[in-house]
Amino acid sequence: MTRKTRLGLLAATLAFGAPHFALAEAPESPDPIKIAVNEWTGQVLSATIVGEVLKKMGYNVELVIAGALPQLAAIEQGELDLNPEVWDNSVTEAYTNGLASGAIIAAGPLGLEPREGWIYPPYMEELCPGLPNYLALYDCAMAFGTAETFPNGRLVGYPADWGTRDIDVVKAIGLPFNVVPGGSEGAMLAELKSAIAAKEPILMMFWEPHWIFAETELKFVEWNAVEGECIEETQVKETACGFAQAEAQKIHSDDFAAKFPAAAAMVAKFTLNNADHNAMILEVDQKGRTVEELAAEWMVKNEPVWTTWIK
Amino acid sequence: MARKTDGRTLLIWCLVLASVLVLALLQPRVPDLKAYPSAWTLPVVDWLNIGMDWVVGVFKPVFRALSAVMDYPLVWTSAFLGWLPWSVGTVIAVMIGYRAGGWPLATFTLGTLVYILLMGLWPETMNSLALVAVSVPLAVALGFGLGVWGFQSPRAERLLTPLMDITQTVPAFAYLLPILILFGFGPVVGLIAGIIFAFPPMVKNTIVGLREVPADIIESGLMSGATRWQLFFLVRCRAGLRQILLGVNQTTMAALNMIIVASIIGGSEDIGWRVLSTLRKAEFGESLVAGIVIALMAMVLDRITHGLATRAPDMSPPQGFVGRHRFALAVLGMAVLVHLATLALPALRSWPAAWTFDPAGPLNTGIEAFVLWAKPVLDAVKNFIIFTLVLPLKIGLLNVVGPFTWGFTATVWHAAAYAALVAVGAGYALSRGRAGLAVAIASLGLIMFFGLTNLTWPGATLLLIWFGYRSGGTRLALWTAAAVAFMLLTGSYEKAVLSVQLCGLAVLASFLIGTGLGIAAAESDGFSRILRPINDTLQTMPVFVLLIPVIMIFKIGEFSALLAIIAYAVVAPIRYAEYGLRNVPKDVIEAATSMGATRSQLLWRVKVPLAMPNIMLGLNQAIMFGISMLVITALVGTDELGQVIYIGLSKGNFGIGFLAGIAMAVIALLADQFCRAWQRRIDAKLEGAA
Repeated sequence: MTRKTRLGLLAATLAFGAPHFALAEAPESPDPIKIAVNEWTGQVLSATIVGEVLKKMGYNVELVIAGALPQLAAIEQGELDLNPEVWDNSVTEAYTNGLASGAIIAAGPLGLEPREGWIYPPYMEELCPGLPNYLALYDCAMAFGTAETFPNGRLVGYPADWGTRDIDVVKAIGLPFNVVPGGSEGAMLAELKSAIAAKEPILMMFWEPHWIFAETELKFVEWNAVEGECIEETQVKETACGFAQAEAQKIHSDDFAAKFPAAAAMVAKFTLNNADHNAMILEVDQKGRTVEELAAEWMVKNEPVWTTWIK
Repeated sequence: MARKTDGRTLLIWCLVLASVLVLALLQPRVPDLKAYPSAWTLPVVDWLNIGMDWVVGVFKPVFRALSAVMDYPLVWTSAFLGWLPWSVGTVIAVMIGYRAGGWPLATFTLGTLVYILLMGLWPETMNSLALVAVSVPLAVALGFGLGVWGFQSPRAERLLTPLMDITQTVPAFAYLLPILILFGFGPVVGLIAGIIFAFPPMVKNTIVGLREVPADIIESGLMSGATRWQLFFLVRCRAGLRQILLGVNQTTMAALNMIIVASIIGGSEDIGWRVLSTLRKAEFGESLVAGIVIALMAMVLDRITHGLATRAPDMSPPQGFVGRHRFALAVLGMAVLVHLATLALPALRSWPAAWTFDPAGPLNTGIEAFVLWAKPVLDAVKNFIIFTLVLPLKIGLLNVVGPFTWGFTATVWHAAAYAALVAVGAGYALSRGRAGLAVAIASLGLIMFFGLTNLTWPGATLLLIWFGYRSGGTRLALWTAAAVAFMLLTGSYEKAVLSVQLCGLAVLASFLIGTGLGIAAAESDGFSRILRPINDTLQTMPVFVLLIPVIMIFKIGEFSALLAIIAYAVVAPIRYAEYGLRNVPKDVIEAATSMGATRSQLLWRVKVPLAMPNIMLGLNQAIMFGISMLVITALVGTDELGQVIYIGLSKGNFGIGFLAGIAMAVIALLADQFCRAWQRRIDAKLEGAA
């Protein structure tokens, strides 16, 4: 049975196949490899590019629009085959359980280096001079405060269903801030945009790469350096390290490697980098170009790279 | 049911309020009083998960087969609609619009389609339409079948009624996980969620329609020798057709409401997806442009199905195949003609990109300027409402009053003065013989002082059950006790209180504002005409879209959530109040006017009391809409049952989210019971007056 959940345009572009590279094994099966497409541009780029490379190997590729949550259930069930960009920072139990049970296979880091932490617009440094050092926040909590959080400062955290890491850190280091759950990415961005437009105080838990950094200048609160991984729940005020930094992981379903061995071998080698990615996100989100155009450009520019992956 | 508050009841009220007060005062010393001890809860979440695992294990192949079958109509429909040239589609839609509602509707349909084309959203709209076109017939068939069953067996009806209420109040996200696992992945899952949400109105309307067929029609059918089968389909269904078609209309509306949810589940490149992905970026202009498409689509489909449902039946149907199918043949003919024209003119086939334009940029600039301009004033309003109403209701004046909020530090003397004020108010009401008012003042005074969350669970339970008994006798008291016991035993109590606090306030505001607007609309035709399109938009436009400017002004948090609920729930009270007032019997009004009643006397002494049953229905609907919004408000950072559903989803734990969904349904059902009890008292009063 075929599913038609394709992005019409994307599918059309992908079907516009370049001559296939003749490879000994690939494709092992005419069945399409189903790649999950999430709601944010960075992931759409990663998914489209990995799809293009698979296409060159002769596979049928289908890009399937899938929410960040349902996709994990679908990969566990083998309904979807692959997602080249899953962030293990806001890890949910669905993800960790899937990895533990072996229903989801991790295929290594994608090579992007996400950064997470608390961001603020530059004008806040005038109101709270010690920034970007985190210790400044203890003294000028009220600069970030609102009537509802008085006498504490206000920190807009991640939505409640992304976990409680921001609350854990505030608690662990005894920071006089109330964490307000952000609700959703859209809500967080709406508040951020309006605060910046009105030059109002704001401190928000956020992540990079994200197109908002291309649109507005934003700064991260800085923490003490640590050796090894930062343990979020047990840090203390004097030596606080902030957040454990995440990696973007490639994941696939448990029968993917058995069904498409050559594809799985390519996916294991597949990497992207921050600089390329930020540039492409900016082109798409700010200059209105299509993901397909940029993916095609990437393929041309990086031909020496991906040809080694598919050998 | 309308009982006078006698001395004994008053004494019990005093005792209840006194115990609530004592418990609240004891609460800081006895931690088990504030939070229900988790050791006393039942592992319902585990049971639910075990149950779901069993269902999945046993029935998965069946559901997978079903999903495979349902895939075909969806693929074919979207392929057909994707192929259909815009010009052909427009001609067909406008002709149907004309058939259903004459030139006004035909013009409106044309306008809608032109808007969609100008915005360049035709392909996305067709994908959404495909989803609706497949889900509505399936939901209608399912609903009709169950409705017939419910009509024939009273036992089945008793089973179906609460089940329908639950399907409509439990949010789709709560059963998303099992649906994904059972049915697989992709748009079919969105389709199924849509059907589950959309079929209940069909069941209700089918039962009502079949039941209300006059007995003489059935008898004449019997007399003319109809078989049982003929009697049912040719006589009863024909006679009840209007009501049944109204069910189709409401099912269509419900299916449209699900477009967004369906695309969260993982859909196709449709309008819902468009709205969602622009919302993620907080792009107000872009999401508004797409959101309006959904609202317009809903309005067109509503007018068309409604028009076809209420069209006067043709008394002398023309004979012969051509005569009977004149309209269908005309549409087909026009479609073929236009299609031939598209072969000559490619621009008629796919709308040229050069003819589209995008107003998103100016809209974004506009909203930003507005936010900057309006923020200072609106911030002051927001703080006032939060400090005097929202926060006291939640955590009590005891914890709210402080230098930053009220401008002074609360002392014992302030508390004493507050207590005295409440006592004087209650005493005065009592001395005027208004015992009910006195009780209300005392209870509210108590609640506002401590806040709902600090009322202690035994205290709140006691107050609620006693209030249930006073409103609806032993039956309602038992209902209330069962609902509270459910919350406590499943450990949902704390979140349920927060949900009730948020929803209660929003519903109350919607009810007051809505009823007021509805009364004004009933009194002034002009105002009514202005209000109607606003109502339609509020109810059909995805609420998410309105949330962006709200957050930009009022920030993430409870106040934005309140406004979101009010915007959505206010429509029902407006409609019911207007309907109720406009349908007050003419002879009553004439009688009152001839007795010399002024316009305001006529309104407040005659029309409003007589419209009370409808106004109360508006309250009931406002509650239902308000509770269904909790899932949405969780997206602006509230901390209640709606949020629990997302947490369950992100953990991949079915039990957590489903339990929260059921808890929301329990609140809705209990609120419904209270509304009915008040309704009965009002009815009794009206009868007493008549």
